Amino acid sequence: MSPVIIVLAAISAVLAITMLVAKNPITSALCLLGVLLMTAGIYGLIGEHLIATIQLVVYAGAIMVLFIFSIMLLNLNKESSEFKDKPGIFFGAVTMGMGVFGVIAFALNEHFLKHRQDIPTGEFTSEKVIALGGNSKVLSHALFSQFYISFEVISLALLIAIVGAVVLAKRKFD
Amino acid sequence: MTNDVLIQLLAAFLFTVGMLVVLLRRDTIMVLMGIELLLNAANISLVAFSKSGGMIDGQLQVFFIITVAAAESAIGLSILVNLYRNFGSIQTQSATTLKG
Repeated sequence: MSPVIIVLAAISAVLAITMLVAKNPITSALCLLGVLLMTAGIYGLIGEHLIATIQLVVYAGAIMVLFIFSIMLLNLNKESSEFKDKPGIFFGAVTMGMGVFGVIAFALNEHFLKHRQDIPTGEFTSEKVIALGGNSKVLSHALFSQFYISFEVISLALLIAIVGAVVLAKRKFD
Repeated sequence: MTNDVLIQLLAAFLFTVGMLVVLLRRDTIMVLMGIELLLNAANISLVAFSKSGGMIDGQLQVFFIITVAAAESAIGLSILVNLYRNFGSIQTQSATTLKG
């Protein structure tokens, strides 16, 4: 396994923990931005160049700017949230989280690693993708031939989201 | 342990932390950020499984998930601005007018 992926995974795990325990929302937002950037790096390292670019442009570019902009707009520094619960609730939740992680790791071992040889592989192996003209070309071809109705529907959903956000932000509730 | 196992474990860890953020933090904006972390963890898992199986369906699914996540965060943040305008706070315990 590649050492660069280990480093990226370790950094994103540390950043996620920092995001959970940081008091200031802007610190949490910057840690989430770091996690998304590391994820884009992992996508690029395993050869998914189109998904890595989309992750950088849409997630790390657009969505995080929106989050940081609204944190600044709402001026949240004064009411930075701390853990006001009893410590028992915090440790209970952390124990439950470790349980969830254990269940996922157990399922991964039981249903993926033990039956690795039995799982049939698809036709798009790494050599085939390179022969077809690269990752972006293969994905774009499938997107505009096999999945074109989904593509049109998703663009319509984005349009509805834009109109809905404007209506919600302008509206005065009484 | 190969690359895809490491990436799957990272996805499981990020999912766990995102779930804890949604459950424990009291700011609505932190809850929204936790949802983004959950979606990101699911995306990592989909891409790694699809890559190791020699398919491209997972990558296309992730393309659509990222688009829907952008729409969802735009709507969520405008609801958040309205919440702040109406209650003067974005703590989750301040919006309690629906209780019976």
